[in-house]
Amino acid sequence: MDAEVAALNPAPEVSVARGRVADPDLILRARSGEAEAREELAAHCRRSAYLFALHLVGDPDEALDLAQETVIRLLGALPRFSPERPLRPWLLTIVRNLARDRWRRLRLRRAESLDAPELDLSRHLADPASDPEHDARRAEVRRALWTGLSALPADLREILVLRDYHDLSYAEAAKVLGVPIGTVMSRLHRARNRLRGRLVAERPDLFSEARQGGAGHDD
Amino acid sequence: MTTDCRRSFDESLLSGFLDNALGQQDEQRVRVHLEDCSSCRAQVAELRGLREVALSSRFELPSDDQWDEKPRGGVSRLFRDLGWLLLAVWIVGLAGYGVTEVWTGAASLLYRLMAFGGISAVALLFLSVAIDRWSSYPLDRYREVRK
Repeated sequence: MDAEVAALNPAPEVSVARGRVADPDLILRARSGEAEAREELAAHCRRSAYLFALHLVGDPDEALDLAQETVIRLLGALPRFSPERPLRPWLLTIVRNLARDRWRRLRLRRAESLDAPELDLSRHLADPASDPEHDARRAEVRRALWTGLSALPADLREILVLRDYHDLSYAEAAKVLGVPIGTVMSRLHRARNRLRGRLVAERPDLFSEARQGGAGHDD
Repeated sequence: MTTDCRRSFDESLLSGFLDNALGQQDEQRVRVHLEDCSSCRAQVAELRGLREVALSSRFELPSDDQWDEKPRGGVSRLFRDLGWLLLAVWIVGLAGYGVTEVWTGAASLLYRLMAFGGISAVALLFLSVAIDRWSSYPLDRYREVRK
């Protein structure tokens, strides 16, 4: 039994996503205005910025605009940034603020709720056929997961994306969202449970796959 | 082992446990509970499965040529900011000069009133936007985040 419980929270690993930490030296060189370093830093940041923006707004073109604007703002504010601080929470905070501004403009224009953008995130998943390690069933779990995620309220979707898709720590997610760590934990649990409940109800066949910890990390 | 859950802590600690985000004491409490509660153990296993599926998801990314806009350097940004500042000063100066000319010139009362009405309308609109911004400011918990 001990082993079964221990397997539920194995020692933290540095995942592929978390492994992409900007080199402090690169940040310093970019801060000093070195063009090559700025380009390299921009390339480093834009993937994370794009994916988070896509998760928030659901539209690839809009996400690309947000990501580009994010990188521009990040580079513009570099002189105020301390290289010792983690870069990703700051980067994702900029994305989130820009997305919020966009929602605000949409709401003013259409008199809609901030939580109302209609998303269909699952169609932006990469084609599983392009990766031989993916089987169709696992891809289906992912799509079901994304479809469920799209239906969550914005605050629950944000926290789930930050933690389970971008692999931010609780402290980093708290920084991005501007909430205490305890709120991160409770909100995250609420989001996970709501998603789990939806999947169990709608696709119990697929959910048994997820239950078994079906997919490995495969970047 | 029992399926009758007698959890004495907040359920969200299960997620904290899953993510290795608990302090030693809380982690021990959850661990002891999980050893005895199959339903919570199943829940954590399901959440873990979902997290692993999520972490393994890959998304279509824009091609390199779609990232067409090069990051602006410090000089470019300085020039742009300076340009906006000069443009704003120019507009205010020109508008002020125009109003003064109309008001002090030989224009009829009708022209004066039209100029005054136009300027007043712009000023009121500006004030309205400023008031809206100001009233939403204290509620915006992200205001301290630099963009």
